[in-house]
Amino acid sequence: MSPRTPSDAVPTNQFSRRRFGAVALGGVAGLGLAACGVSSKDGAGSAGAAAAGSSGAAGSGSAPTSGFTLLETPKWTGFPYFEQARIGGEKAAKELADSFTYAGADHPDSSLQTETLQNFLTQRPSAILVAAIDGDAIAPVLKKARQQGIKVVSFEGDAAVDARDVFCNPVGYELIATTELDCALLNDPDGGKVAFVAASPTAPNHTAIIKYMREHIENDPKYAKLTAIDDVQYANDDDATSYNVAVNLMQAHPDLKFIISPSSVSVPAAARAIVASGRKGKVYATGQTLPNSVKEFMKDGSMKASMMWDPQELGYIAVYAAHHLITGDLTGEEGATFEAGSAGKFTVGKDGEIVYKKPLVFTPDNIDDFDF
Amino acid sequence: MTTMRSVLVRWETLLVVLIVAAMAWSATLSPYYFYLDQILGSTRFFIIPGLMALGLMMVVIQGEIDISLTSTLAVGTTLAATLQAAGWGLVPTFVAIIVVCALLGAVNGILVAGYGLPSLAVTLGTMGAYSGLAYVIGGEQGYSAFPDSFTWLGGSDLGIVPVSLIVFCLVAVTAAVTLRSTVFGRFSYAIGAGATAAAFGGVPVRRSKIVAYTLAGALAGLGALIWIGQYASARADNADGGILFVVTAVVLGGVSINGGKGTVLGVVLSLFLLGTLSNGLGLANVAGPTQTLILGTLLVVSVAGPRLYAMARQRFGGGQGTPQVSGSGDPGRRRSDTDPAGSLSKDPAAEPARP
Amino acid sequence: MTAGLDPRHSVGIAAPGTGGRSRIGMALRVRFLGVAIFLVLLWTVFSISADNFLTGGNARAIVFAAAVLTIAAVGEALVVLTGNLDLSVGSTMGLAAYITADVSIGLPGLNVGLVALAVLIGAALGALNGLLVAWLKIPSIVATLGTMSIYRGLTYVYADGQQITSNEVPSWFGRLAAGAVLGIPNLVLAAAAVVAVVALVLRHTVAGRMLYAVGSNIEAARFFGLPSTRVVWLAYVAGGAIAGLAGFLYAAQVGTVTVVLADGWELQVLAAAVIGGVSIWGGSGSVIGVALGAVVLATIQNGLILLHVQAYWQLLIQGVAIALAVAVDATVSRREVAMNRTRRRVAVTA
Repeated sequence: MSPRTPSDAVPTNQFSRRRFGAVALGGVAGLGLAACGVSSKDGAGSAGAAAAGSSGAAGSGSAPTSGFTLLETPKWTGFPYFEQARIGGEKAAKELADSFTYAGADHPDSSLQTETLQNFLTQRPSAILVAAIDGDAIAPVLKKARQQGIKVVSFEGDAAVDARDVFCNPVGYELIATTELDCALLNDPDGGKVAFVAASPTAPNHTAIIKYMREHIENDPKYAKLTAIDDVQYANDDDATSYNVAVNLMQAHPDLKFIISPSSVSVPAAARAIVASGRKGKVYATGQTLPNSVKEFMKDGSMKASMMWDPQELGYIAVYAAHHLITGDLTGEEGATFEAGSAGKFTVGKDGEIVYKKPLVFTPDNIDDFDF
Repeated sequence: MTTMRSVLVRWETLLVVLIVAAMAWSATLSPYYFYLDQILGSTRFFIIPGLMALGLMMVVIQGEIDISLTSTLAVGTTLAATLQAAGWGLVPTFVAIIVVCALLGAVNGILVAGYGLPSLAVTLGTMGAYSGLAYVIGGEQGYSAFPDSFTWLGGSDLGIVPVSLIVFCLVAVTAAVTLRSTVFGRFSYAIGAGATAAAFGGVPVRRSKIVAYTLAGALAGLGALIWIGQYASARADNADGGILFVVTAVVLGGVSINGGKGTVLGVVLSLFLLGTLSNGLGLANVAGPTQTLILGTLLVVSVAGPRLYAMARQRFGGGQGTPQVSGSGDPGRRRSDTDPAGSLSKDPAAEPARP
Repeated sequence: MTAGLDPRHSVGIAAPGTGGRSRIGMALRVRFLGVAIFLVLLWTVFSISADNFLTGGNARAIVFAAAVLTIAAVGEALVVLTGNLDLSVGSTMGLAAYITADVSIGLPGLNVGLVALAVLIGAALGALNGLLVAWLKIPSIVATLGTMSIYRGLTYVYADGQQITSNEVPSWFGRLAAGAVLGIPNLVLAAAAVVAVVALVLRHTVAGRMLYAVGSNIEAARFFGLPSTRVVWLAYVAGGAIAGLAGFLYAAQVGTVTVVLADGWELQVLAAAVIGGVSIWGGSGSVIGVALGAVVLATIQNGLILLHVQAYWQLLIQGVAIALAVAVDATVSRREVAMNRTRRRVAVTA
């Protein structure tokens, strides 16, 4: 390629890669178009890689402590929850002087996510952050990344344990489950019949959370006042489907008291269905929600509690974890600790999980403190 | 015939030009693009939809459509998981997958050709039904405990060439030869050009259509085998929603959605074009929505552009510009299928355009 | 050209020969009956097997769930009647809903103007589809497959990672969707109104008859001087406008407007139309059938939940229902073709 293009600064020599078409392409690249399309937020995607790579290659005794390239892919782009995580990630990267790029497909599809990750791999970043859709499906490409020395951090949705270094888990499935049950009891302390709505039979986190909820309802005296119905309904994170499922559940179980869902789409849709069916105060929707989407229901009294965690903080901590993995301050070993800027100190648990157990419970009193 | 041929040549030439442009653009977008191993590696993501596209084109050339292929694939992956978990060996499992998927395709073919039902509506139904079947087979959990022997086909490389790419090339060559030099191929184009005329000419229309659907199903099954290798994971939602991409690849490849026209080369080139764009944009970390927008625009412009050009030539140049893609003649063809009298009034092949 | 504007002529083209209207009417009734019988069967089975199925509240729930789907499917049916397809209907709903909801934040005083805005956006998007299909003669599957991505992509670009929540939009959105007149939910009334208006237009106006004529046999329609290009284009514009309305009502119903609103609806909508007896080849079908088709889909979903059946069986059963509907439709249209043939002979001898 033309000597003027930034691509030449990329240290490709350390990998045995074959170039071809250099002559054919020289003319095109030489037009000076080379840099125009790099969409990294700070425009320093490749430059950051160059800085990290070259200082690493220089190996002048002091290892680099900043300027790493971090590439992050959510389950899908355009979803407000992940946009919040992105804001947190960008904030952390700025504090650490790393380069942070966020990209991904526009709908949750594990084969597209694998493709995104493969494209990340080609860019030789220092670390990859991923919210896995299907943790097993992306395992092969993540393992390849790890073989090449790229650090892998999963957040929100975990990848296969041996395919990533650490997993940032804001709450932990069991704690989510019990918090959601707590929310149900906050809505109505007298308890009652519970129906579950998940996104799909193949959403592993939803399956796990609902399993824990069932266990606690059966065995935990704290939730003795709750009873669960047998079948789980699926709403594909789709508003209208969630709405209809909620209406149908109320028809199927006239004595239904709670509709609990780990899907942040399903809960507000179910809450709306309850109000529209005139069952306000008789049936409650609760579970995971973005606070803005349920403010209305908190105000009109049809919902008294729901839960989430801070996705910005999650994105923030994940970037810090990635950074410390790169510098070597952090390993995936159980018991290792790291400082995550303003978020505080964290410890790695079993299987490389960083569980920090900070669920947020929204109630009519505190809902206005949150804006996401 | 010669004009049709020249149109096809022009179409494929256009694709090549677009591919070169896309590669050049990708190279400017990302410094990581222009490496042989990178490009070969990136083809991996187009092999599974590519196999389905080759199957679909067999059906489309005969003037029908099959949107249930992705669900067929999901049946394949979940069945593979179930059989493997039950202790089946590699070869019996693989054979069973291909056979079952081919049978699902044959069911579509029998409904469409045997009973004369509209293919879009039928496969809309079987898309849901097969997807439900995949959930029934696969249950709620994903499966990922495949041994290495199962994943070799879709997951390994020979040197820097993915094994699945070699499989795809073999299938593509076979498909090209089948369409070009076999009786089935000639029948296919004849049926697509006008089923009634073909039937009068002694072409076994029903049987040919059933064969095309069966082949498409079998190729979706092969896609399933590659899938479990590539992703080492089988879930009932595998490839869910991917059918639109497959249809895009076929259409962009110059296969007339009304049948009678299209080459394997065109479809392969269009896959390569889509792959190049997706790879380049992905390497430049262009957001997914923007990619969707670009692909949609490409599809519309690439089909509308030649059409506009032909219309302009007809209007101003007086020349006989042959439009690239002929209109949706479905209603007409159906009617002519069941009503020979109706076919006298119209010949879909001669009719260049229909809204 | 002017000759084609006489409704009787277009009817004549739709069913060449004499007595076209009554025969067509019969064929439509047969199709309509097919859906109706299927629905009755479905209701009988569920009433026997599920405890709470046959209650007033449940019937209301089913009809309510079918309301927005019905509206969207009626828009699709207009296009399908001309022998074309609109795969961009979900994306059209999404884009119209998102822009309208966004505008409502800045200009809440627009009130009913917001509904008009959604309809206009839908019509504009439909007009582009129609341009590609009717004037540029691009096969409708191809054209609307492309615009499906384009409209959805535009929604993403417009939204820029945001969503609009129910506390941002005017509160009457929610009241509109949840409200009822004389016990009938507003959305159901809206759906009934759309069905009634479109049914009347199709049955009693020149434009409506021409739609069937163009769909039955476009060459014949053209031969008889019908402005078929314009008819197809108008079908897309009207279909888009209805999709825009459906998008707005959907947004009002669910409250939170996200970029994926109505994603994947093209298949649901098509399923409703096909189950409702609209021939995918164009030229025959009724919007009342479409409404019943939507109710069938809603009934399946409702009944299976009442039976405590795992949700994925729905896919299977819906798929089989579609295939069944298509088979019934094919049987009917074969008889129609046979009738046509006799009629044609009559016409020739006459």
